[in-house]
Amino acid sequence: MKESSGSLKALLKKRISRKKFLKMSGATGAGALLGFGMMKDFGLMKDALASAGTREVNYDLNKADNIINSVCLQCNTGCGIKVKILDGLAVKIDGNPYSPWTMWPHIPYKSLLSDSSVIDGHICPKGQSGIQTLYDPYRIRKVLKRLGKRGENKWAAISFEQAVQEIVNGGKLFANVAGEGNRNVEGLKDIWVLRDPKVFKEMAKDVKEIWHIKEKDKKQKKIEEFKEKYKEHMDKMIDPNHPDFGPKNNQLLWIHGRLKSGRSEFFKRFIQDSFGSTNFHGHTTVCQGSLYFTGKAMSDQFDFDEKDKKAKWGGGKKFYWQGDLSGAEYVIFVGASAFEANYGPPYRSHKITEGVVSGRMKYAVVDPRFSKLAAKADKWMPVKPGTEGALALAMIRWIVENGKYDLKYLSNANKAAAKGDKEPTWTNACWLVKVKDGKPGEFLRASDIGMLKTPKTKTLQDGTVVEYEFDNFVCYSNGQPVLFDPNNAETAAEGELLVDTEINGIKVKSALEIIRAESYKHSIKEWADICGLEEEDIIAVSSEFTSHGKRACADIHRGVSQHTNGFYNVLAWYTLNLLIGNFDWVGGMSQASTYDNVGEKEGKPYDLTKLHPKKISSFGISIIRHDVKYEETTIFNGYPAKRPWFPMASDIYQEILPSAGDAYPYSIKALIMYMGSPGYSLPAGQTQIEVLADVNKIPLVIASDITVGESSMYADYIIPDLSYLERWEFQGSHPSVIWKVQPVRQPTVAPIPEEIEVFGEKIPISLEAFFLKVAELMNMPGFGKKAFKDAGDLNRPEDFYLKMVANVAFGDEKDGSKSVADASDEEMEIFLKARRHLPKSVFDLEKWQAAVSPEYRKKVVYVLNRGGRFDDFGAAFDGKQLKNKYGKQINMYIEKLAKAKNSISGKGFSSIATHLPIADSQGNIIEDEKDGFSLNLITYREMAQCKSRTISNYWLLSLLPENFILLNSLDAQRLGLRNGDSVRVISKTNPAGEWDLKGAGKKPMIGRLKVIEGIRPGVTAFSLGHGHWAYGSRDIFIDGRRVIADKRRGTGIHANAAMRLDPYLKNVCLQDLVGASVAFYDTNVNLVKV
Amino acid sequence: MQDKKSISRKDFLKIGVSCAAATLASGILDVKKAVAKEEPVSKDTGVDLSNLPAEIAQNNQLIRMQNELARALKKPLKERKWSMVLDLRKCIGCSACTIGCKSENVLPPGVVYRPVVDEEFGIYPKVSRRFTPRPCMQCEKPPCTPVCPVKATYKRADGVVVVDYDRCIGCRYCITACPYNARTADFGEEYTQGTPKVQDYELRPTFEYRKKWPRKRGKSPIGNARKCHFCIHRIEIGLLPACVTTCIGGATYFGDANDKNSLVADLIARPNITSLKGELGTRPKVYYIWG
Repeated sequence: MKESSGSLKALLKKRISRKKFLKMSGATGAGALLGFGMMKDFGLMKDALASAGTREVNYDLNKADNIINSVCLQCNTGCGIKVKILDGLAVKIDGNPYSPWTMWPHIPYKSLLSDSSVIDGHICPKGQSGIQTLYDPYRIRKVLKRLGKRGENKWAAISFEQAVQEIVNGGKLFANVAGEGNRNVEGLKDIWVLRDPKVFKEMAKDVKEIWHIKEKDKKQKKIEEFKEKYKEHMDKMIDPNHPDFGPKNNQLLWIHGRLKSGRSEFFKRFIQDSFGSTNFHGHTTVCQGSLYFTGKAMSDQFDFDEKDKKAKWGGGKKFYWQGDLSGAEYVIFVGASAFEANYGPPYRSHKITEGVVSGRMKYAVVDPRFSKLAAKADKWMPVKPGTEGALALAMIRWIVENGKYDLKYLSNANKAAAKGDKEPTWTNACWLVKVKDGKPGEFLRASDIGMLKTPKTKTLQDGTVVEYEFDNFVCYSNGQPVLFDPNNAETAAEGELLVDTEINGIKVKSALEIIRAESYKHSIKEWADICGLEEEDIIAVSSEFTSHGKRACADIHRGVSQHTNGFYNVLAWYTLNLLIGNFDWVGGMSQASTYDNVGEKEGKPYDLTKLHPKKISSFGISIIRHDVKYEETTIFNGYPAKRPWFPMASDIYQEILPSAGDAYPYSIKALIMYMGSPGYSLPAGQTQIEVLADVNKIPLVIASDITVGESSMYADYIIPDLSYLERWEFQGSHPSVIWKVQPVRQPTVAPIPEEIEVFGEKIPISLEAFFLKVAELMNMPGFGKKAFKDAGDLNRPEDFYLKMVANVAFGDEKDGSKSVADASDEEMEIFLKARRHLPKSVFDLEKWQAAVSPEYRKKVVYVLNRGGRFDDFGAAFDGKQLKNKYGKQINMYIEKLAKAKNSISGKGFSSIATHLPIADSQGNIIEDEKDGFSLNLITYREMAQCKSRTISNYWLLSLLPENFILLNSLDAQRLGLRNGDSVRVISKTNPAGEWDLKGAGKKPMIGRLKVIEGIRPGVTAFSLGHGHWAYGSRDIFIDGRRVIADKRRGTGIHANAAMRLDPYLKNVCLQDLVGASVAFYDTNVNLVKV
Repeated sequence: MQDKKSISRKDFLKIGVSCAAATLASGILDVKKAVAKEEPVSKDTGVDLSNLPAEIAQNNQLIRMQNELARALKKPLKERKWSMVLDLRKCIGCSACTIGCKSENVLPPGVVYRPVVDEEFGIYPKVSRRFTPRPCMQCEKPPCTPVCPVKATYKRADGVVVVDYDRCIGCRYCITACPYNARTADFGEEYTQGTPKVQDYELRPTFEYRKKWPRKRGKSPIGNARKCHFCIHRIEIGLLPACVTTCIGGATYFGDANDKNSLVADLIARPNITSLKGELGTRPKVYYIWG
């Protein structure tokens, strides 16, 4: 057993250190950590001892009174959990049987609590270990303020009140830190300068006008007009000469890691709606950005836009599709490890194992590593990293060559044609594209070939009717152009698929023909050689993929998207799925479906987007330069731009801090960092630390964390947060979950952080508490009294979240016909009993009642008792189709890209699936293997860890005390390395093989080698989650006293610092300039024995 | 297999045997009292899930097995034959069972009832991987019970091999005797030892053997040999063992092999069934489906 590391000798040693420690910690009166003795006496031991030794004691963990159903967040899968409570303590977590994630089939939603309490659902080891995240002895209870240099880990435990006062008012906050004696820090009140929502709105309109002016002189003239018009506000602008930077409010920067709905709206309410900053950015690109943003581009619809009063591309959703494993007969998993990650094992594993054993399903795994998923696969294809798109193109070629695509589906050019075939979706495969100088560009329109535009009318939301002309798209049938509107549901348009012709002298090709030609650039053998695979395997997989009708799918994830060519890899694989027309079909591609908690839909109890007395619409170029065309801005200065601009993406995590560091397009004054660790999680994370550690780059850094983490250790203040078992959130869903759901996370036990007072209420410290307090001190609208206008006050987190629960309970029909039932009297009683251990600071019945109208209260309880809302098993199916449909057009040709420009090279982008070589931001191919770096570094996920936050879980550490560097035996032989050797990971941009942790010194990147057969030669891998330098693995000092590190938490290797820097940008990793993903798998390294 | 707490022989002699010897020498042991008694038939008859729709009971293997459990509980103890089937085709090596068990039974560092072994076979690119959960085999002929000097460990009438924590003296003979390495010793460690504070969840009582056993220095189960007991504290009130409910691959089956209509009886009767180290004649009640 791996557990054997705890030898008796080690044990005795540990005991001694513990004794010593207790002595020390007793002397620390501050109670800053959970471990420091200030925790509530749960009365546990008294009760336990009283009943010890008696026969036939009651098993307390199957009683509804001792259970609160909630949602896991040990990873982002969002499994339903059943938290079992013994004498006020969370002691056991199991799967929630109401949730389709954790039971298959899940029990009906109306099932009684007395039934659900005795049925335990399944949950992974991380889920089980959640109580160790909650009761982590290194959790912080009080605000920590920096006493040393950033990263030195010297802290003072200060009062919440003092911390918020300082952050709001600023001043010489760090006068006693060497070198910062005279550093004046601007407080939030100095950054929250423009406060009138009307001025925001007007300025935003004028900025848009400036952008739309093409001529330089006229643009400048308009800028001067702007300065004159708003002269009394010019002191509130970041730069009067660049009105499009927006007001100084934008110099408050928010950056988040794991943020879900509910908390998302609460925090946006502060940052955007009340404070007026446009800089609210997430972490999508470190996870699978190019998957999301390809999904966004593919789901764009060409429809009437109410703002612009014309038809245009828009409305694309930042989302993606996954395969429905419950009904698939054949699946190709590409860079997706469903038994270890992939959103996620508890939901997906059962469906695969049942499918394989029953004979329903077969699957192939495309992954350079022989994953646990590969262990049960029909075929393992150890592809060369970065060539996933090439493999898809090989398959596209085979499918087109052999005519194996779904001709009927792909021929449908619009909604009416799809409807005629009972297809929920349609594509632009047959649409004609204008080809100029051999390059495909925009779609052919009726006006291009001398046809008239169609007059149309549109009734807007406010009831006004707008008349406009629609320039039809064109497809080709029987030698004739066919005009159509893609959204027309009455007149079907169908076109031929492989068209290459001329109409009225214009060279045109159908979209699929352009894709075909791309796939024919190489023979299947040549593609196979690029991928490092066998031609016969590619043919076999292509043949199988097209032999199951719509019950086959390619299920893709990070291994496809986290490359410099990620966007096009994803587009290629989704194009393959389109070729068999499997979208919205059982066993095909599926999208997530959730009950709306925000209340935007008509008739909902609380529209939280509107319940704000003075809501600001922030504006200005964001620090990550997204959703805007570089060429239109006032800082356009030719190519290359100083840093890249992102017309197709958002939440570009890797660019946030380096952009702030470079002050491009402007500088940042204060940063709030929530539940994310850019220094640890991002490739080349040391570049993020470089910015965080420098007080001149970001003068004020506030982190919200549950302990002192790898990135929060560089903060000026750490605000303790509630863990996922102590707070609210609405988890949402994942595409593979075919049921309509809304899992609700809620407080399950007494909070660890200390209690404070805000708006006259006693609540635990949390990020909500922090924002409430800031708002109270700054008298900021949107919080406190009348914050919801007539719907009441916002003094406590539940004032906000219970309204959202009411929205979920109400359902999404405006007449309330899809409301849940009222909780019965018995259920009301169980609800109260199950919360008897919660202090008033989180559960005060009267205050909860005040948060929602009486008519919704019993429904709210019904939802909370079940840990959310979940449709019944049968509700996911509509015959052979999925019930919860995407139901719209899906683009395989992305017209927007045909018009967009690469801000670094000034060149255009491909508008279809293609295979690009791994390259830097200037398009130069990365070939570090030529410099002797012979191993392609990849990362993967072990079930026993989840990136930056699970190292505190000792049960998980018992499964995997340290991680390894995996290497094929052929490479080991070649390099003279042996199993168990300690090796240093070095790369071209990190030749020293170390982490530069600034204030915390340097940490060598050394790990232990595991020589295996199940990895492609030439590839080396490490699993994410180990190799920590904070999070309890490093000594810290609070009020001058040492908190001794736990060395178990610092084992193993985290080799992100070896990942390649971009040679042009220098302070960021390699990235995909279209889908904005970071490159996790595009660095070549060497392993040096130490 | 990587499944045993490595106790050096030296440690064992230093601590274990000296305790055992002292206990034996002092003549405290009453051999008569130590003879395994027939367990009284529990009054519990499991849980009633008849509210659930029939198709759920049919299609959900957990609910089906839980219903079968309730059926078995209606019979006298000695007529039940609790058995487990592990379908290795469905085991994905996630170790949810290992940790589910740790959490359910409050197992300290070094004590593991159900490890999962991960093995790789073959040469690139022809590779395979197998994951093998390894609970106690609950042998019909357990080699571990006869060696117990105080008869603290014995086989119950329903076939489950248990440890009487009140009686166990921690000599660890049984640990050595088990050919499956299914027993480990509780040295009284806690995971949060050496951190700012040992956490209460580690000290909470375990419900093993239907008693409450808080974790307290000098008290059982600290110092005892510990092992998988099929969660009898759960089965006897109608709940499936923790490793069964938490299995995310659906690879773990549990039930009464004496019930010919049970899922386990059906699986055991198929040709792809086997058990570990059958040649030893231990006759395990844990079965494996290899392929």
